[in-house]
Amino acid sequence: MTIRRSLFVVLAVAAAALAVGGLSGLAPFGHYPGPYGDIINAVGTHQQHVTNMVTAVTFDYRGFDTLGEEYMLFTAVTGVALLLRDARGTAANARPKRIRGRPRLGRSEAVMTAGRWFAPVTMVYGVYVVLHAQLTPGGGFQGGVVIASALLFFYLGEGYRQWRETVRAPVLDPVEAAGTGLYAAAGFAGLLSGHAFLENVLPLGTTGKLVSGGLIIVLNLAVAVAVAAGFALLFVEFLQETRQFKGERT
Amino acid sequence: MTALFAILLALAAMTGAGVVLSREPRRQAIAIGANGLVLALLFLALQAPDVAYSELVVGAAALPLLFLVALSVLRRGRRPR
Repeated sequence: MTIRRSLFVVLAVAAAALAVGGLSGLAPFGHYPGPYGDIINAVGTHQQHVTNMVTAVTFDYRGFDTLGEEYMLFTAVTGVALLLRDARGTAANARPKRIRGRPRLGRSEAVMTAGRWFAPVTMVYGVYVVLHAQLTPGGGFQGGVVIASALLFFYLGEGYRQWRETVRAPVLDPVEAAGTGLYAAAGFAGLLSGHAFLENVLPLGTTGKLVSGGLIIVLNLAVAVAVAAGFALLFVEFLQETRQFKGERT
Repeated sequence: MTALFAILLALAAMTGAGVVLSREPRRQAIAIGANGLVLALLFLALQAPDVAYSELVVGAAALPLLFLVALSVLRRGRRPR
């Protein structure tokens, strides 16, 4: 046995022992030991007038953490745009990149039809998930990515040219920034009225109604806009890479 | 643990192994999408529908797409002379 292999065996046994030792102290499957979830479930609806406690946590009790995540996503998408944005694929009629020895296959009719049927349905469902964040499972991030995936179905249904003429990067850039900025700006509503940053100062409304939860709705919409535009921008920048430069020879 | 969890956990292990064992990168991208789909179902069974939404779109659609795009612009193997 080589040194390398014997070293692997020793380290693998040690790692397995550590894993078994660490996992054996966990609570049993399905058992929830912490007090915080139970407390939130008990007081959340009464305090915030929402029925989805996950939304209450992400946009109110832990709204500041979500602000950080929001800017993390913004920075990541900006980084992708900085790295990948060039002349490649910006024209809607840009031809697919050709690589020698690899056949270029068109979309099948089944894919086109499925894309055309799924795109509008998925889009409406995404908007539904965003708007009902305070009532049923889902929220700004979840609805935002569903909306962005509807744009992917649109791409599969209509092809690159139609897609690029509809999903435009110059439009997505400011929308992405506006959604991200709105989240931070909404936090100042609390400061201006003499409360803490991001404190829920808007009228809370009636529990169970579409408009309820006060500031939660605003923050939720800001996240939805930023996430949908951010993911759409990500798809635009990546799919541009599958095109060739104007006049490029392969 | 009910039969539902046993099936879903077994599926997660199988699709996870499928990602590792498939050697062809394009198949691997599809396999990681299948793994994301199973994980989304598992989160749903564990009563975390919010996480299931995110996993469904990010794990089963966005991630394989980024891999497939990256693969489509790569020249693999030796260039013919």
